[in-house]
Amino acid sequence: MTSPFDPADVTWSRVSTRLTAARLIPATITFAFPIVAGSVLAMTVSPWFWLLAGAFVLLLVWTAIVVPRQVRAIGYAEREDDLLIRKGILFRSLTVVPYGRMQYVDVEAGPLDRRLGLAKVQLHTASVGTDAQIPGLPPEEAARLRDRLASRGEARLAGL
Amino acid sequence: MNAPGTTPDPVPGQEPERAPDRDAALHWRRVHPVTPMVRGWAVVGGAIFIIGQQTLDGGPDEGGVVGLLTSPYWWTVPLGLIVIGLAGFGFAALAWRMTTYAVGDETVHLRRGVVFKQQRHARLDRLQAVDVRQPLVARLFGLSELKLEVAGGSDSGIAIGYLRDADASELRNELLARAAGLRNTPPAVAGSSRVAAEQGSGGPEEVPARVDGPPVGAPEAPEQPVLEVPPARLIASLLRTSVTIFFALFIAGLIVTVIVTGTPQVVFAVIAPFIGIGGYLFNRFSTEFAFRVAISADGIRLRHGLLETRAQTIPPGRVQAVSLTQGLLWRGPDWWRVQVNVAGYGGDGDAGTTNVLLPVGTRDEALTVLSLVLPDLGIDDPRAVLDAGLAGDSRTPGPFTGSPPNAVWVDPIGWRRQGFAVTGRALLLRSGRLYRILAVVPHERTQSLGIAAGPLQRRLGLASFEVHSTPGPVSPGVHHLAAADAAELLEEQAARARTARAHAGPERWMEGPR
Repeated sequence: MTSPFDPADVTWSRVSTRLTAARLIPATITFAFPIVAGSVLAMTVSPWFWLLAGAFVLLLVWTAIVVPRQVRAIGYAEREDDLLIRKGILFRSLTVVPYGRMQYVDVEAGPLDRRLGLAKVQLHTASVGTDAQIPGLPPEEAARLRDRLASRGEARLAGL
Repeated sequence: MNAPGTTPDPVPGQEPERAPDRDAALHWRRVHPVTPMVRGWAVVGGAIFIIGQQTLDGGPDEGGVVGLLTSPYWWTVPLGLIVIGLAGFGFAALAWRMTTYAVGDETVHLRRGVVFKQQRHARLDRLQAVDVRQPLVARLFGLSELKLEVAGGSDSGIAIGYLRDADASELRNELLARAAGLRNTPPAVAGSSRVAAEQGSGGPEEVPARVDGPPVGAPEAPEQPVLEVPPARLIASLLRTSVTIFFALFIAGLIVTVIVTGTPQVVFAVIAPFIGIGGYLFNRFSTEFAFRVAISADGIRLRHGLLETRAQTIPPGRVQAVSLTQGLLWRGPDWWRVQVNVAGYGGDGDAGTTNVLLPVGTRDEALTVLSLVLPDLGIDDPRAVLDAGLAGDSRTPGPFTGSPPNAVWVDPIGWRRQGFAVTGRALLLRSGRLYRILAVVPHERTQSLGIAAGPLQRRLGLASFEVHSTPGPVSPGVHHLAAADAAELLEEQAARARTARAHAGPERWMEGPR
């Protein structure tokens, strides 16, 4: 059976693999604190604290395995009248955003993103339910996409 | 592109240079001078509420305000209230001085703010709804507040208040007429004066007492009453909600606890949730009291309220999605509640009250109201299809496509109700076995679409479909469809929404189709 998340005649563009680093670095820093704290407590207070450190090491390993696959699963496609965004491996989702429904486009990049040469493009419609963000785009691609979306949105602009 | 409708002006001082010709033509008006009296009471009421809450939270033994009142320092309480009251009224008076509004050909302007000045322009063709609100205190003075909703996220509307009742409805008619595209140039109204363009520099003596007349008298679009909710049915419907049942069980439990333990102090410990639930029920009763629905050329008109009355006008084509819902206990009398998503209403603090199109009504009444919003569903036998959507499940014959039988593993109770049907003009989505929901989304109002599937759903070959609508009580979606159905619906609905948008009526509803 064909998957509903792979519509026919759609070529998916993928996001930069540097997004893996951009997601793993903060995760590592977050998990490092309880791992270090657990290890110190285990050596000074009670060996039971190895369980705490171990649990977070496992979480970190799991994250390191999952994130690259998640990044590879993110895809977007510009079609004639709408933009498709898909993501997820275990919990998959596919969103269709018509250009004429776009209210505005955001391009964001945090300090780590900028260092890694990444940016996030987010589309907003009049609905808050629209979860249409494409993370991990190279800045020039993000700018191109932003302009393209804006111009297409203008051409097909409708009321609400 | 910016959020449509509103253009907050961050630098009010530069405003005259920006568009001198257009702004000079505007008649800036003040709201009614009694406004500070009405607004000031809110501060005093708030203070009394907080003091009362503190007293209740403190319990009878802690003292709180009760303790203070019986002590030699009892005079601090009334003195404090007077100080708070003076501050409240003083600020309200200042705010009144700073508030002016003007109606242009295509825009409504509002200037306000004492410390942080704000000037807001709302485009009339983006107008989503107009409400005339009349809180209890304002009612005593014969005043009401006009609220314009534009689709710019939360707090994007323009509230002009307070005006005299007649002026408020006249202004509303005027705004609706202009938003509808019935352009009429405002004649110079005799006796109406203009507020000085440099706000704040002119003293109050420059402004005569009556500057609150709206610019032009547009006739009210004639309306036709459709239905009215009798108070007895409203009370009965509230008694049949799950909240009331919980409330009754709660009181019964409380009485049993007090009798068994013999400690009536328990009552004070639970008084806060008690007041909360009672407040919710009273609030619903009070806002939905005397609910009247009427239809006019300017769209659907709703009037309701016991203490605070509200007259809402939702122009045609502004409704983004409709839901008809029925709780378990409403099934006997076959009552339904109709709610809508209107851009601008959603996200409001009072979302629960403004989004109601019909608080309770029989099936016929609910479908009548639905037909006011969506006159044509684009099918031959709408009643049969809607009946299947309201009460049917996968065993009833009809145009609904439901979940496949293996969806029972992920949704053992409701899977038979899950289903969608496509008509020429709208998408119908039904769900809920105990709490029945039928959501209707006009094709041209589809914002974006999505499908999603978790691991279990994928193993069973299922996927959930969702239509993203503007914020509001209706969240249209259908869960656990066969994956192929979901994919096909996604693809076709995107195409249908596109075609419907291209043929949608104009934003100015009186101008005729494009």
